[in-house]
Amino acid sequence: MQNTDMTQQDQEIRDLLKDYPMPEADAGFYDQALARATHEGSRRQRNRWLATGFGAALAAGLALWMIGATFLTSPELPDVDTAIPGITMALEEPRTVNLVFSSATRLDAAMLTVSLPAGVELAGFPGQSEISWETSLKEGKNVLPLTLIALTPAGGELLAHLEHDKRDRTFRLQLNIS
Amino acid sequence: MSTAENSQTFERLVRPHFDRLYRLAWRLTGSKAAAEDLFQELLLKAFGKLDDLVKLDEPGSWLCRVMYNLFIDEQRRFQRRRMHTVEEGQLPGEGLAGLPGPGSPDYDNERLEKIRRLDAALAKLSDEHRIVVLLHDSEGYKISEIQALTGVPGGTVKSRLSRARARLRDILTADGTVS
Repeated sequence: MQNTDMTQQDQEIRDLLKDYPMPEADAGFYDQALARATHEGSRRQRNRWLATGFGAALAAGLALWMIGATFLTSPELPDVDTAIPGITMALEEPRTVNLVFSSATRLDAAMLTVSLPAGVELAGFPGQSEISWETSLKEGKNVLPLTLIALTPAGGELLAHLEHDKRDRTFRLQLNIS
Repeated sequence: MSTAENSQTFERLVRPHFDRLYRLAWRLTGSKAAAEDLFQELLLKAFGKLDDLVKLDEPGSWLCRVMYNLFIDEQRRFQRRRMHTVEEGQLPGEGLAGLPGPGSPDYDNERLEKIRRLDAALAKLSDEHRIVVLLHDSEGYKISEIQALTGVPGGTVKSRLSRARARLRDILTADGTVS
């Protein structure tokens, strides 16, 4: 009887997994991705001397921007990469960047301030170059999606300043506009 | 080859595999933004390897492996930065956004609720277990295909699949999703 029940449960879970949804790519996404790859790839080939630095930025272009936040429980500050992570955005195309804060402990009433370079806006906050809000971080990974829009090709650094209990840390993300 | 010829050759080789690659990116990352970035990163990497790509009999399989390795590399970078203690239950479940809502002829409240619970249960699995069970049970990959993709021995893939299913069964039985 037990085995029969387990089999039925397994089958039902398999059926649910088969139905587990996944959205299709946005219209035009494939074409844009292809164009960026060939454009950027060709540029790299022409400018090999730039490849190392630019490659680091593109590697960081996996927009899961991961931030060490062990600082609030460890006497040591988190490792700071000498290279600033970066992403490449298209002009006037919304781009969602997931800021990932990993905290070793729960943090209540932390103050997060996002500062944007000139010409880049946060969707829903037109004309604001600095947005602050109080937030709580859970122990573990905390994901904050920010949808950015580049209005000019200048680019620059996005700063995320996290402050809690008189301790703070600023993280940087280079925004390159193509 | 000229730049234009390179671009055309590249597109001819990779475009037939876009849907498969996008699905893989989604299953690996679990979010739209991360999937799109992984997809983009793969194309950048692959374009730089065009000379190798043109010689391959099965560029699709190669592209999948490169994508998987890019994903794993990113995970390792994450760990190297000492951002440990990744809590369970963090997947955003954006894929559920496309489900039919009330008023849709396809709307099935009970079924949708079960899928939402499945989503929550999947988010409680480790990456290793979640990826294997999604590739095998949702995407229809064979054990040998997962082995080729991940480089993990077939026996280990089977073990992970078995444990992932058992964990899902425990979670979904406990919350009454399956009975």
